[in-house]
Amino acid sequence: MPKKVAAVAGGLTYFSKARKDKTQEELAAEAARMALFENDINLAKDDIDGTIVSYFSDHFEDQLLFGSIIQDYLGFNPKPSVRIEGGGATGGLAVRDAYAHVASGLLDVAMVIGFEKMSEVNTAKGNEFIALASDTDWDFPIGGFYSGYYALMARRHMEEFGTTEEQMAMVAVKNRNNAQHNKFAQTNPKMNPFAMKDGGKITVDDVLKSPYVSYPLKRLDICLMSDGAAVLILASEEKAKKITDTPIWITGTGAGTDAMRAGDRPRTVAGVPMLPHEKKEWYKKLEYPGVHSFRAGRESARQAYKMANITNPLKQLDVIELHDAYTSSEIQTYEDLGLTRYGQGGKLVEEGVTAIDGDLPVNPSGGLIGAMHAVGGTGVMQAVEMLWQLQGVSGKFHGSDKTQVKNAERGLIHSHAGTGTYVTATVMER
Amino acid sequence: MTEVYSIDPLIIKTPYEITYKHSYGKTSKFFTSLSSGKLMTTRCEHCKVTFLPPRADCPNCLGETKWIEISGKGTIHTVTTLYFSGERFLKDLPFQLVYVDLEGVDTLFLTRLKTKDMKKVEVGMKIKLRISKELEWRSSDVWAEPYE
Ligand SMILES: [Zn+2]
Repeated sequence: MPKKVAAVAGGLTYFSKARKDKTQEELAAEAARMALFENDINLAKDDIDGTIVSYFSDHFEDQLLFGSIIQDYLGFNPKPSVRIEGGGATGGLAVRDAYAHVASGLLDVAMVIGFEKMSEVNTAKGNEFIALASDTDWDFPIGGFYSGYYALMARRHMEEFGTTEEQMAMVAVKNRNNAQHNKFAQTNPKMNPFAMKDGGKITVDDVLKSPYVSYPLKRLDICLMSDGAAVLILASEEKAKKITDTPIWITGTGAGTDAMRAGDRPRTVAGVPMLPHEKKEWYKKLEYPGVHSFRAGRESARQAYKMANITNPLKQLDVIELHDAYTSSEIQTYEDLGLTRYGQGGKLVEEGVTAIDGDLPVNPSGGLIGAMHAVGGTGVMQAVEMLWQLQGVSGKFHGSDKTQVKNAERGLIHSHAGTGTYVTATVMER
Repeated sequence: MTEVYSIDPLIIKTPYEITYKHSYGKTSKFFTSLSSGKLMTTRCEHCKVTFLPPRADCPNCLGETKWIEISGKGTIHTVTTLYFSGERFLKDLPFQLVYVDLEGVDTLFLTRLKTKDMKKVEVGMKIKLRISKELEWRSSDVWAEPYE
């Protein structure tokens, strides 16, 4: 039997298009300092037994084995450390790996250190580095890059289910406007000294009028590229109870995968892996997953729900932080997570269910569209956000009470790579 | 001489260039067949599945696949028009990418669509894969064009 594992502390940096003031390791130190010294915990730095280091690309900094530099810079030598990499899901995989380290007894107290510094190359080169995380024999040489791949999937989702550009725009507005109450967010110039100057609130009209990058996706439908870091501390039950009065337990975790080239994925009629609350007849004609849905997301959720005894996610979850790389993929992910039926994701945001004051708020932090996407830091940021939500201290850290979901007891974090190649889902509870 | 971008904080510029000698291995035949005007791909006779892009080994049974010729005719499964791209394709903008559903192929194939009128492109439209006359030995040597 795995040991019980709790999140006990977290830290974030201000996120920015370019944190020229600090190196990558200095950003990690900024987040680690907050995790150790600004959470209400009884834990010394020397109590950390080992680290899980989470970053995506060696290309952005032209430095291999950066994990070793981090371990040294933060003063954890000669303790154990491992680097985790899995594209956009790097952070989610790192949190899951840290869970496994503690649950197995290998580490009693583990620190997850996630970061990325994407600003040292220009945006088109950065997009190209990210595109190298697609098939470079076949999909990249024709001019493929991620906004193109997601646009193809979004277009098919529109064709299959009638999803609209307005519904996608509503996701952008929700996440961007949530971020205006989170001081760490890159789009929040009122609270974040490193924010973009043209940040601030937006409307559906702003999104619809922003220039197309890849039809149907427009500039404001697409996530940020960020510099920054996130640090999470996990502990075994015995240690966690000594460290904090408000441990947040990891009660379920799942991981799924799919083909690198989305075109290679099956189109199986009635092929949806079912969740407990779903009925076979809903999907008897649906070709699945095709390029409209993320089978890896469904699989990760199925495992996490089973482990956490969740049979109706919409009712049993109070808050979600999910990987909104694109507004379309947030809508697709609602369906993979079983918050609504396949094809109904657009309606969920339209009805306000996932708004900050809705039945199941999604991305109160602002997510990847409003707050940050510093790739290796992103999944770790989600875990830190969920820890603070469930501890009821989001207001203290964000500098505004407006992001705090009232009485949140159970939440889910969702981390996603490629066009849905690696996905993790993890349930956290009070 | 190191190029200095900023003094406070000190930021320097470092160029980087590299050449890979990349083998297409057993899928080389796809590219070499293009020079004789043929679209070749692989099929697993055991699983009755045809893959494009080709795979030398079937992911379902891990048996070896066989080469077959395909017509390249099919329909558009989904389409996007790009107005931004990775650095090396900025010069081509705007251009269209499509997933195509091809006759006798079980996977969807991602390729460029070349057409005189990008606005008329719709899901379900008939296309045919075309082969470049000047082969670059990349997947961009084939593309889709509207076909009646
Ligand atoms: Zn086979």
